[in-house]
Parts: sequence; C-alpha cells; structure tokens
Amino acid sequence: MNTGAPLLEADRLTRHYTVSRGPFRARGVVRALDGVSFTVRAGQTLAVVGESGCGKSTLARQVTMIERPTSGALKVDGIDVATADKATLKRLRPTVQMVFQNPYASLNPRKKVGTLLEEPLVINADIDAAARRAAARAMMAKVGLRPEHYRRYPHMFSGGQRQRIAVARALMLHPKLVVADEPVSALDVSIQAQVLNLMMDLQQEMGIAYLFISHNLQVVRHIADAIAVMYLGKIVEYGPKVHVFARPAHPYTRSLLASTPRLSRGASYTGIADARAGADPRLERAAVRGEPPSPLSQLPGCAFHKRCPYAIERCRVEVPALELRGEVQVACHRAAEIER
Amino acid sequence: MALLEIEGLTVEFGSVAAPFTAVDDVDLAIDAGEIVGCVGESGSGKSVTALAVMGLVEFPGRVRARRMVFAGRELLSLSGAERRALTGKDIAMIFQDPLASLNPCFTVAFQLTETLRMHGTEEERGSRKLRRARALQLLQHVEIPDPAARLAAFPHQLSGGMAQRVMIAMAIACNPRLLIADEPTTALDVTVQAQVLDLLLRLQQEREMALLLITHDLAVVAETAQRVVVMYAGEQVETGPVPGIFDAPQHPYTKALLDALPEHNLDRARLKAIPGVVPGQHDRPTGCLLSPRCDFALARCWVDRPPLAGPAGRKVRCHFALDAAGRPTHGWAAEAAAGGVAASNR
Repeated sequence: MNTGAPLLEADRLTRHYTVSRGPFRARGVVRALDGVSFTVRAGQTLAVVGESGCGKSTLARQVTMIERPTSGALKVDGIDVATADKATLKRLRPTVQMVFQNPYASLNPRKKVGTLLEEPLVINADIDAAARRAAARAMMAKVGLRPEHYRRYPHMFSGGQRQRIAVARALMLHPKLVVADEPVSALDVSIQAQVLNLMMDLQQEMGIAYLFISHNLQVVRHIADAIAVMYLGKIVEYGPKVHVFARPAHPYTRSLLASTPRLSRGASYTGIADARAGADPRLERAAVRGEPPSPLSQLPGCAFHKRCPYAIERCRVEVPALELRGEVQVACHRAAEIER
Repeated sequence: MALLEIEGLTVEFGSVAAPFTAVDDVDLAIDAGEIVGCVGESGSGKSVTALAVMGLVEFPGRVRARRMVFAGRELLSLSGAERRALTGKDIAMIFQDPLASLNPCFTVAFQLTETLRMHGTEEERGSRKLRRARALQLLQHVEIPDPAARLAAFPHQLSGGMAQRVMIAMAIACNPRLLIADEPTTALDVTVQAQVLDLLLRLQQEREMALLLITHDLAVVAETAQRVVVMYAGEQVETGPVPGIFDAPQHPYTKALLDALPEHNLDRARLKAIPGVVPGQHDRPTGCLLSPRCDFALARCWVDRPPLAGPAGRKVRCHFALDAAGRPTHGWAAEAAAGGVAASNR
C-alpha cells in the first residue's frame, strides 16, 4: 500500500461550540473536539470509532472544511486550513469529498443521477457539458451502475444503489481523501458487503484515503488500516488496526469490543477472549454502566471515569494524556496495569 | 401447547385485484418463557408479522391466517374490545425508535400510568396514587438512574437508552406473557445496546415471559435467542435452534447472510457479498424468491417455489437444502450436470 507523505495531519485540533442555556444562565461550552491529533497518509484508511456525541461528525466538518477549527492545526495536503485564506480553501475543498450516512436523504430527489454526478464538475471544473457527461458515465461504470441509470431519479434505486451513486458523486472530482460518515450503517447486511467491497476496490484503483467514521467495530476491523477511538471529544486510543484489536488497551475500547455482539463466542477478539475464556461472555460488558455524560458538563479528570470499571482516585482529578505504549497511543492512567 | 401458535399467516396490502403480499404463509410457534429471534433484511416482513400479532395492521392491510391462537384463544375471531383488552396487557411490544414511539406532549409518568389505567388490576385502575407508585417501581426495575426525577420528565429530556428503558417499563407494566421487541436496540449505541439487551434478558427470565426478538443483526440473535426464524421477502426460509442454524445453515440465503458478515471474512480482502437486491412488489420471481441471487439456483428453482419442509423445529424452504459442509443436496449435482445451472447468476 502507498505510504507517502501525510495527506491529512491534525495537531491538537479543537472545536468548541458555545450554546445558550436560557436567558439567565451563563453560556455553556461544548468541547466537541478537544485536542485531537492524528495523521492519514495517501491511500490509507483511518477509522474513527465512538458513540453518539463523541465528536465524530464534528471532526468530519473540520476535515471537509465546512467549519474552521477553534484552535490547533489541521493540514490538508500540507496546507493548514485553520489559517488559510478563502481562495486557498476553495482550491483545497475538491481534494476532500464526503459520503453521508443516509443515502435516502443525501441525494436530491428532484435531480437525475446524471445531474447529481455532474454537479460537482459544474461548480469546480472548467470543462464542457460533453466532457462532464463522459466523466459521469465513466464513473457510473466504475461503481457498478448501468448506463441507463443516467436518466433515472434517486427514488428509483434501492439503498445500496443509492449509496453507490453517493460514492460516485464523491469521486467525481478525483479527491485524495473521502470522508465517509457511517456509510453503511443504513444498509442491510448483504448490501453492506457490496458497498464495502466497492469502497475498497476504488481505494486500490484510485489510491484514495478514507476517513471512515463508524460505530460498527466489525466493519471497521475489515476496512481500516488505523483506528482512533473517541470519547467525548478526545481520542482515547489511536494506533494500527492490528494492534488495537489484538490488545485493546483503553478500558473504553475494551468495553466497546465486549459490547459488540458476535456470532461465535469462542472465536472472538483475541485480547479479551483470552482474559475470559470459559467465563460468562457478558462479564466485562456488565462492568461498563450508564451512558456518556452530557458534553456540556465539565468533569475534572478522565472523561470516562464515571463508567470505567478500573477508575481510581487519580482518574477523578487528573486528565490522562495520550501516551505511546508500544505501537498504540493510549490515554489512560492505568493502561499498564490493565494490560496484564 | 405453545403460548402463541400461528399457522399460515398472510398479510396483504394494496388492492384486492393486485395485492402486495408483505407476509406470505408464515408459521410461528412460541412457547411460554422462550426467546425466539426473527431475522431478515428490510422488506422481509418481520415487522409486519409482529404488527399482525398485535392487531396493529391497519386498513388497507388484510390479515389472514389458518390459525392464530394465543393462550388458547383464536385472535382473529375476537371482537375489537376483547382484542384491545389483550393487546398491551398479555401481549406487549416495544418499537425500534423509542423517541418516536413516546408521545412528546406527555410526561413519562402520564404515559406509564396510562397503561395501568387501561389494563391494570382493579385497585390500580381505581387509585392514582397506587398507579404512580407502580410507575416509580417500574422505572426502578428497568434501572433508570434517578427514577423519581424521571417521572416528571418529557421524552425529549431523555437519552435514547433511557427512552428505550421507559418503553420497556411500559411494556412490562402489566406482566405480559409475550413481549415482542421490534429492533429494540438498533437506534442505540453499542455499549447502551448491550445494557438494554441484558435488561430484556433479565426481565424475560424473572417474569418467564416469552420474547419475540425481531432484528436484522444476526449477532444479536446469536447471543440471545434459543430459536431463530429467518425471513426473506415475506417468506420464512429457515427455522432452527441457536447455535445450530448458525453453525450449519441449510438455506443458501442464511448461509450467504452469514458469509457477508465482516466477522466471517477476517483474513479476506473482499467480503462475500450477495449480488442483487431483495425483490420488491413488481419484480418478485415466480419460482424460489432467492433464485436470482442464489449461488446454486437450477432451472427448477426458477419455476417451482419450494415448500417449507423438514422435521419440526428445523425447517427449510429450499429444493436443495445445504448439508453441514455448505453443499447443496437432494441430487443437486446430478441435476446441475443434466440441465446446467439455469442462468449464470454472476
């Protein structure tokens, strides 16, 4: 696989939102992204995993340059988008394209497939209509749509085909990075496999990098090269897929893995399976209770300590920093003890 | 004697002249205290089956069945009032999106006590105080943090997991004998899903309820159910015990579904996808409904719809049910050599 210069580089990327909490109360601050650092190289897939409210979608908004970060640096193709001027951003935006979660909502029902696919070219490329049509037809063939689909409307397609259209549209400008926000979670299992195969084939063929946002660890395990696990705006574990799945170090990653239902109880995630071979499969999952706290509340210490089965006094007062342990970065005070 | 026995359940929508069969000739039996999983993709008719049991299929839907007996009573011949007395009391249901199923205009307490006002015991129906006490007790039972405060909350003030717990509390308020859970955890995060599933299983054991768990997630069923019904395009294609049905699926569709999971493709670059899509209203094949997508379809499969056959509890709807090694049986090889594979599916 191509391992060139970093295509996307985030350094302590931060995005805060201020929200009104009523007329007589001070404004609250939602730390949707709080000092996130990661790198994506050309042709690679970084999966971002976490539950709702952990900042996955905010991250997508920064990377696609819809919003500017509050602080920190985000380099797309070597240019820092936090400080870049408007003209630079406009030039940069076609290099990052997006595929959304729900293909029933992300395609304009009043436009034909051909129009949908050509629209990015109308806006961003200086070519004539015939060239646009040729490009659209070529891309349709690439994603497995038939030529007659060119004149059809989105409602005439099934969910899987719509997601193919959405992928085709994202690739029309030949981006270097595609941000995929839960691209298969609205699809059925049999269709999910088709779309995942398509995405991986296109990556091989065109050398695209993916920022793959998902909550489904099984899917992530299949498609990703590296994984960043997020909790309440922070990355708690970040490293190559093989290492994160083999030896999940952060208690939150472990609970995510333990909570994921699986078909066969024996052949499961190595790290955890060994630890509890023969034991009740729900043992570790039962240890994590409750739901993520509101992102408005500013708890001191580790964001996960209220739900963490390993939390000690130190976790309640001191925020753990992301530290490199072997191949994987982990933000946990007790990572060394848990690993044993 | 099973708690719920359904034979030949058919649900049709659309006009009588050109009906669309959403559920076609489904047989289902659930014993008291049993957990039955019902899996299938969207459009497979699993939710409509549940709605038919609840009596919630509205005009122009038409429900027919040779037999639909719950606890010795034929459901389809009950009067409206008798059916309503049963629904929500002895048969309860929880739905996929908890925040969409709760009424946004009323508090949790109101909606919980409403169930008790309709279906509760004599004392409960007579005393508001008692109903409120019961509602609090129910919230404690489903492990909602700070239950007393939650009684006064409106649905929008609850998280998804808490709202689903409220839905479960409403469903178990009258000690139902059968609980139907239609995708109860699909809208929830993984860690919350695990907690809600654990809660459902605990309640099911404590109360010896029968549980019909409808889901598209095979892994959820594998971890919870004792028996599984696999549905495809409105038909039952396979039924069998867990984990047997997952270890040795006999229907090509069940096998293909399992093979498409990333979990079963750990060291492979590509997933084994099922080509094509589930047939809709206008493109239903005449023969086996899976024939256009099946790896093993022969000429016979394209014209002749197979019956649901096999020993009780392990039925499969396929002319050439698969053996333990995943190979088609019943003379498939000979027929394939004679007639060739009917059409190249790939």
